[in-house]
Amino acid sequence: MNPEVNTEKMDHLIQEMKRIAREVELAGGEIPAVVRNVKRLMASIKMLEINVSDVSGILKTT
Amino acid sequence: MLADQKYWNPLLETLPLRKVKELQLRKFQRIFKWAFEHSKFHRALYDRASIRPEDIRSHEDIRRIPTVEKSMMRDVQRKDPFPYGDALCVPLEEVSEFRQTSGTTGQPVYQADTWQDWEWWAECWSFILWAQGYRPLDRVFIPFGYNVFVAFWAGHYAAEKIGCEVVPGGVLDTAARILKIQELRATALMATPTYVLGMADTAVNKLSIDPRTLAVNKITCAGEPGASVPSTKKRMEEAWGAKVFDHAGATEIGAWSYECAAQPGGMHVNEAMFLVEIVDVETGEIIDEPGRQGKMIITALDRQAQPCVRFDSKDIIEWDPEPCPCGRSFRLIKGGVVGRADDITKVKGVLLAPSAIEEAVRGVAGLGDEYEVVVDKDGDIDRITLRVELRPEALGQADSVNHTLVDQLRIKTNLRYNIEFHDYGSLPRYEVKAKRFKDLRRGH
Repeated sequence: MNPEVNTEKMDHLIQEMKRIAREVELAGGEIPAVVRNVKRLMASIKMLEINVSDVSGILKTT
Repeated sequence: MLADQKYWNPLLETLPLRKVKELQLRKFQRIFKWAFEHSKFHRALYDRASIRPEDIRSHEDIRRIPTVEKSMMRDVQRKDPFPYGDALCVPLEEVSEFRQTSGTTGQPVYQADTWQDWEWWAECWSFILWAQGYRPLDRVFIPFGYNVFVAFWAGHYAAEKIGCEVVPGGVLDTAARILKIQELRATALMATPTYVLGMADTAVNKLSIDPRTLAVNKITCAGEPGASVPSTKKRMEEAWGAKVFDHAGATEIGAWSYECAAQPGGMHVNEAMFLVEIVDVETGEIIDEPGRQGKMIITALDRQAQPCVRFDSKDIIEWDPEPCPCGRSFRLIKGGVVGRADDITKVKGVLLAPSAIEEAVRGVAGLGDEYEVVVDKDGDIDRITLRVELRPEALGQADSVNHTLVDQLRIKTNLRYNIEFHDYGSLPRYEVKAKRFKDLRRGH
């Protein structure tokens, strides 16, 4: 594995993206183009969580 | 460079087994809680067993949870909300994809997926395709009738996700598909083993095109076990001059297993996305050790709309004792999915797996790719008729081909057959799942 990969940092950024996506959704009110595109964005963010966030804590354990 | 990276996700694919198990437990706790809280069907099932989410603290606790059978899912979908029933964990407006099972073993089961689930399908397939050498420069041709069956839909989306160029070969006949592959210099294909062989046959006999002269260098199979049956795999690889890879998946489960480029004689279980347990078919005892076959109980650890929690798949598998030279820590199942618990039938008192007949037929050089098996009764005695086709170039060698076939069948199945030779091209051809095994005995 690439030694410079920092999963904790990646996880932190992924959670930031999630928070920002939710804010965009709120700011968009009832605009379908915003709500539905955020929905898709959140699905992609979930895939990042599966690939990075879910395993990040486990990589630290002994 | 990205294309030089060996793994789709090294964080998961090289995780030591001990940590994989820790990850699986955490994810199982999460999906169990989700199903318990959002699906009436799951809630009732677990209430009857007096199991609540907080009771799941170890892998041993998971083994006490009731399994789900396909027949239960058929019953569920008679209830509301239409058409999925009360196993559904999300409001209907969250469902963005409908698929259904092929109905091979009975009434089809409807499957709901959210957009997140659809992304997840593509993610599972991305592990498969990257491990098999698909990269952004590949041009992937998918000769599949895009419809209600999930088949290669997720392969299509995963190829896109990886960055490949995808050519949907939907409503074209076989000859037109081959000509399109030639015209576009496609480098990869996805199809059932039956159709991979059928396309090669059409290319040679109807178009006078040798598939080995095309640019296709890898083929991913699904839907049937053929790519893990050595003689069938060899036929496909020789016909196309390409590497042929297997993968295993199911509509109600997901794409849970894949062969990697090392072709180790088995498939990796994607243990970061699925929890696979093997149980003894007779006793239900969990089989942890390699080398013992049992049926698979599987959990999709991230599926949202219609969760798959301890699903009794009936697939017969066994853990391989050897690690894979590719370096992935995801364990291998030896020889892929070797059969199905409801496929293996007793004939003349002997257990017969249809894949053993396939291995015998496809291992005889003078025979065509197609065959058909009919089991019926002659009085009180079981009778097996095997219909095969002699290749045109072997027409003068019928006796020696028959002799070799009888020997191979005896070695591989320990049974005697009435063998019928039919004209080349006269047996049925299939595009998706072939139905070559017909049991006409009463009660079968």
